[in-house]
Amino acid sequence: MKINVKLIGLFRTGRFKQEDRQYPNGPKVRDIIDVLQLPQQHFGIVLVNGVHAGTDTVLSEGDHLVLLPIVDGG
Amino acid sequence: MKFQTTDPAANPSAIFYKCCTVDLRNGEMKFADVPCRNLEDVLGGFGRSFQDLAKRKIENAYCDQNPLIVNTGLLTGSSAMTGMRTYFSGYSPIKGSKVGLPAAMWSAGSGKFGAKFKWTGLDELVFENRSEQPIYVVIKETETGPQVELKSAEHLLGLSTHEKIMALQEKYDNAHFAAIGRAGENWQNNYMGAVALSTENQLKSKEDKFRFAGRGGMGSLMGYKNILALVAQSSDKISKVSEAVKKVNINVIKGGGSARIQPLSRGGGGGTWAAYEVLQEFHAVPVNNFRPQGNAIPEKLFRENVEKEYDIKSESCFRCGITCHNNISEKNADGSKGEFLAKFDYEPLNLLSTNIGIHDAGQAARLIQLGDNYGMDAISLGVTISYALSYNERHPEAPILNGATFGDYEKIRELVIQTGEGELPEIGRGSMRLSESLDETSYAYHVKGLEIAAYQPETNPGYVWAIAGGHISMGTYGLLTREGKSDLESWVKGITEDKLHIVGFDMIGLCKFFDITKGIGTQMVVDCLKSEFDLEVSAEDIRAAVRRAFLRGLALELRQGYSKAEFSLPAEVSENPNRNIKLPNITSPEFFEKLQKRVWEIFEPELEDQ
Ligand code: SF4
Repeated sequence: MKINVKLIGLFRTGRFKQEDRQYPNGPKVRDIIDVLQLPQQHFGIVLVNGVHAGTDTVLSEGDHLVLLPIVDGG
Repeated sequence: MKFQTTDPAANPSAIFYKCCTVDLRNGEMKFADVPCRNLEDVLGGFGRSFQDLAKRKIENAYCDQNPLIVNTGLLTGSSAMTGMRTYFSGYSPIKGSKVGLPAAMWSAGSGKFGAKFKWTGLDELVFENRSEQPIYVVIKETETGPQVELKSAEHLLGLSTHEKIMALQEKYDNAHFAAIGRAGENWQNNYMGAVALSTENQLKSKEDKFRFAGRGGMGSLMGYKNILALVAQSSDKISKVSEAVKKVNINVIKGGGSARIQPLSRGGGGGTWAAYEVLQEFHAVPVNNFRPQGNAIPEKLFRENVEKEYDIKSESCFRCGITCHNNISEKNADGSKGEFLAKFDYEPLNLLSTNIGIHDAGQAARLIQLGDNYGMDAISLGVTISYALSYNERHPEAPILNGATFGDYEKIRELVIQTGEGELPEIGRGSMRLSESLDETSYAYHVKGLEIAAYQPETNPGYVWAIAGGHISMGTYGLLTREGKSDLESWVKGITEDKLHIVGFDMIGLCKFFDITKGIGTQMVVDCLKSEFDLEVSAEDIRAAVRRAFLRGLALELRQGYSKAEFSLPAEVSENPNRNIKLPNITSPEFFEKLQKRVWEIFEPELEDQ
């Protein structure tokens, strides 16, 4: 199935900004993070179709997934 | 500090801090080993200074009875990572209630001054009254204990923060420096003076790479007292790092807590600047006086765009492995590093660039550098200017000041210079006073008289209960964006339980990046205190002390005349909701009313004990 994946900030380095990607049916957000090998210690925010979600969220055909690193200002 | 107990929670009076009180009117000094009243006194920073400020009824920040308290935290100068903090406390010229009373305030900064100060043997320096002549103060280590000397500072008058530090470095070796700039010297018209703290990097490179205790006008209070600089002269006291502290330090670096702040080259997140990219996804990067437009304009200051034209180097304070400074320099034609410009931390960068309509990295860096050298708080300066620009946008027929508008670099630069020179009290006295004088207060982005940090208030109703500025004294700024919490329960819990603990870092002498999510009531801090001072204290006792200190700050605000109505966000947030921000609305009048009710129900009974 097709998921539109957008990466933010340092997650883009050596990967991509945004693209449609094919995954086996019903992947969890965690599966996609694993495939992309995103660094665990930076992992912060998941948005599915613009709404905060967790890494256990199961994705559906055509979902828009945004993966963001954690943020801290100062 | 002197320790005659290993149990600071049960027996605080057996722990003594070395305090020197200086009467600036006659030069008299009193040294004392003061027994601690409670664990807050032992931990230090504002936990101690606010107890002393609470004893005084101050009606005007610029009066003889308002002290300037300079102190450190228990772990300042220790081998615990980030133990570099110095604190400046007093009643603030800029933050105040509507009845005209000044609020108690502290401001914290890193650099190496704090460690040097601690290594002189002194824990606290209290300045009473004011000096008739400009002076600087030398705190030095001697065989018989710390000594304090007052020296004429006529020769420093009119110099920038960096020039003062450079001039003093010529005269004092083995020393670090805290200096005000011209803004602090012009305290009558500038209430946002900051204190610059020297770094090793600055003294070696001679470049203006300092850290700041910026918030609340502590540099202006220092200027009122006619103190232009402090010199802390001592040998470095670097003991062998114990196995326990080594483990903690490794955990700070590798454990994940500070990873996002570390350099990209080391697999880190690239410092606080990286917040730009994350917040932009929600269209929550402040633009043109906190009105994000739902477009891509903030992207111009993304790191990937800046590094094409400028050299970016990650640097750090003395011995800190977190290395959070992103120092921006010009790039020469051959690609090598050119002239140093400024550091790009999220707050000063946003508030002196995107939020005033400046989208050019070089112009932003020049404005930050200018503000730093005048010694002004970048947050109060940027937000007060953005208010003025917004006023001019709304009143093109009758603009104020020089008529500057968003993005007009030359005119904005002129405003910064005039403010630093004390020629523009309209900006120098902050956005609350300016907006009240113009009778247009709804879009002045301050809370309780102190300008807010670079997080949209729509994302952070917790600003309202921050006791010393939004992002340093209430850690709720990521609760909606980062954690996705938009329900009332999470916000009540965040404000009244978890997120207030961020203030603990401003007691103990550590940067919040030591362990930003958990605060200081942790096994890591327990282990450091055991290893460094043989103190046995539980994480619960530390958390209880931090909570008491926070509540004392809140009680002090109420005592200084703040009404409940002043615990509110800028009115524009609810009067004209910004539909461009892609996050749930948690600042509607209905939500906020419920939040206020619940938060005060929890805090109020505890405030009675303060
Ligand atoms: S975290 Fe940053 S500001 Fe704090 S001591 Fe380390 S380098 Fe300095």
